[in-house]
Amino acid sequence: MGAFLVKRMLFAVVTLFAVLTLVFIVIRIVPGDPAQVILGDQADATAIAALQKRLGLDRPIWEQYVTFLTGAIRGDWGVSLVTGRPVIREILDVLPWTLELTAVSMVLGTGIGVPLGVWAAINRNRMPDYLTRIGSLIGLSFPPFVSAILLLIIFSLALRWFPVISGNRATPWAWFQSIMLPALNLGLIMAAYITRVTRSAMLEVMQEDYVRTARAKGVPWSVIVWRHALRNALIPIVTIVGLYLGILIGNSVLTEIVFNRPGLGKLIIGALNQRDYMMLQGMMVIYTLIVVVVNVLTDLTYALVDPRVKLS
Amino acid sequence: MRMSWMAGGALAALLAAGPALAQKTTLVIGMQTQDAGVLDPHLNSGTPGKALMNWMFNGLVRIKPGQASPDQIEPDIAESWTSSADGREWTFKLRQGVQCHHDLGEFTAEDAVFSLQRSGNKDSSAFSSDYSAFDKVEAVDKHTVKITLKTAIPSLLGQVMNYHGGNMICKKAVDTLGKDGFARKPAGTGPFMFAEYVPQQYVKLVANPKYFRGEPKLKEIIYRFIPSDAARDLALQAGEIDMMIGRQEQAWVDRTNKIPGLKVIAFGPAEMSVIHLNMTQPPLDNIKVRQAIAHAIDRAGIQQFRGTAISRQAVSVVPSGYFGTHETAPLLPHNLARARQLLTEAGFPNGVTIKAIHTTLPGMMGFIEAVQAQLKRAGITLDITPVEHPTFHQQIRQDLSQLVHFQAARFPIADVYLTQFFHSRSIVKTPTAVTNFSHCKVADAEIDAARTEQDKAKQVALWKTAQEKIINEVCAVPVNEMLMLWAFKDSLDLGYELKGSLNLGPPLTELTRFTK
Repeated sequence: MGAFLVKRMLFAVVTLFAVLTLVFIVIRIVPGDPAQVILGDQADATAIAALQKRLGLDRPIWEQYVTFLTGAIRGDWGVSLVTGRPVIREILDVLPWTLELTAVSMVLGTGIGVPLGVWAAINRNRMPDYLTRIGSLIGLSFPPFVSAILLLIIFSLALRWFPVISGNRATPWAWFQSIMLPALNLGLIMAAYITRVTRSAMLEVMQEDYVRTARAKGVPWSVIVWRHALRNALIPIVTIVGLYLGILIGNSVLTEIVFNRPGLGKLIIGALNQRDYMMLQGMMVIYTLIVVVVNVLTDLTYALVDPRVKLS
Repeated sequence: MRMSWMAGGALAALLAAGPALAQKTTLVIGMQTQDAGVLDPHLNSGTPGKALMNWMFNGLVRIKPGQASPDQIEPDIAESWTSSADGREWTFKLRQGVQCHHDLGEFTAEDAVFSLQRSGNKDSSAFSSDYSAFDKVEAVDKHTVKITLKTAIPSLLGQVMNYHGGNMICKKAVDTLGKDGFARKPAGTGPFMFAEYVPQQYVKLVANPKYFRGEPKLKEIIYRFIPSDAARDLALQAGEIDMMIGRQEQAWVDRTNKIPGLKVIAFGPAEMSVIHLNMTQPPLDNIKVRQAIAHAIDRAGIQQFRGTAISRQAVSVVPSGYFGTHETAPLLPHNLARARQLLTEAGFPNGVTIKAIHTTLPGMMGFIEAVQAQLKRAGITLDITPVEHPTFHQQIRQDLSQLVHFQAARFPIADVYLTQFFHSRSIVKTPTAVTNFSHCKVADAEIDAARTEQDKAKQVALWKTAQEKIINEVCAVPVNEMLMLWAFKDSLDLGYELKGSLNLGPPLTELTRFTK
């Protein structure tokens, strides 16, 4: 286990270095001048040149890269070109919002997806199976920004159960109200994926000899399904949950904007529009770190759900 | 016993109704932005920031709330002013007792001098070039400020009003907090004071109880950042916000106006859509091709397309209503036959193809597609390369587009538009470049002469001549003007009639209140 973790950490460092370099190059290749964006469309060439100098954008690319890399190693990700505040501070201000949304969405997605998938599998080619398959197909087909607007129209405007503007942590109830719709929006789409994967994994496992043997021995049906079959079907489900976590963070960009929640999504859109290089670099580091950590956790979970898997 | 039970019930009902009857004093506003940007009036040049700054800061003078014309300038922190005959020396007498926010003491001439010097410094201001004509700013005494100019400029008062670099800040706040600290806790003298900033969520302002025009009736303003159009609409309909910036779409205006309790107001200054033609590149170096383009564009048709309640036809190469606009300028009329004939005379009987780099912003994209369709009827093919907005701004300044569609409002004096878009100093890709995309230089003499002309009638005449020359040369084709749109609850009384706002958002004054 220890060797496995050390190996993965080394791999993570190499990945981070590659991502940092790639991001540094790519965002400078993309046209668009931060100084122009900051100063607005009335700025003259002299003012733009002065700001470029102040931001260090007039220096050679390699010099900017060395400064950026040495800063990043020391944990200094620089200051936002737009707000002048430290990048790390800006990210840490909103990171908990995105992590919270991702976590609740994942709980909802898994909590809805796994039981539905099992239900569909044990009722193969019957009404529950058809309904679940149609439902999951609808879930997969809906872009998150469309489902977000629909949820708002139904639950916020017509029924008035939830607020349109999310991001309220004043009381536990306010928190619940403000997170439910965005999490449901992301969670339902995730549930659609998980339902389909769970169904097919369960169908495969249910054909196994040991399931037939357990049934012949008179083991209760619920024990067969939930203890024997589901446990053995968990590996593909864990894989898809791990993979989907990255997608969830990606989908949270649009969800945060439509539900007006703070988070990395809103930050990255603003940074892109304003060509805030420093902010984009910092955010890419965070996204990469999240993906690396999730992959490690997924690997560890494999060993947890299936003792035959060796971490080496 | 029965009576006392009923009396108790009535009392309980009254107590319960109490809060409902109380007048609302918190105004919640939805703005189309991810965040507020830097909360420093001398650095924040974006639309979301302009409106916000306007509620916190004063100028030495101001345009009357609800108006956007320089004709409507009135005293603000300065109670009076005088100028020398040559327009180079200006003396402002400040009101006594004007208080800085956060108990930072009285606003004096020292603060005004500090503010204006800061606005003219490129390290602390995004508007420093506006102040390049300033020679000296001095405090004559505690309540008198003297400005000496190197040369006279068209509107000194425009540089000292509560707009861009003219916003007056309190020196003590910058001295105490530093430049970055000030941007996190700005201090001015306006009706509302900064209270709280929550990243990506809102800025909260509270009433300034010591405001020199009287304590505001609103107690609190929550300025929420809601980038999604749909979410802002829904939040307004659900009553979670009271006021919002709208979409420049006729359908949105019609739909919102039908919702009970809401109203939409369209106001100036309008952003004018102008087609700039790069006269250095063939085939646009041929004036007949440029004239053909001008004849092919149907301004009335574009106005119909964009919406008659939210847009109007352009009247000149300077937007209508600006001081010095030629309201009856000789723009070329829509005439397809004449356009085709001019193309043939120019040696292009089979038509021409013009290449344009264009932003993907939906409102502007819709416009250029309509223009593209109109040009096609005259045999002019507009080949559009859509790019993201910041890329668009960079590439058009690199002179990479034959035709540039630019939509902008400026300080409402003809000089600003004429200088930035049509003076040779502003030609793109030059050291002094601003936004002259056409390489126009036919009216330099008139624009320069008008800048220093002290006789207003002669100044206006020079500007009109400049506009006629630019139109005759067809450096650009002005097409359409789009008004600012804001929606709000009809129970909100702004305290004035909203016809215009230079800061692109409704001014909120000490008189703004909810009627219920």
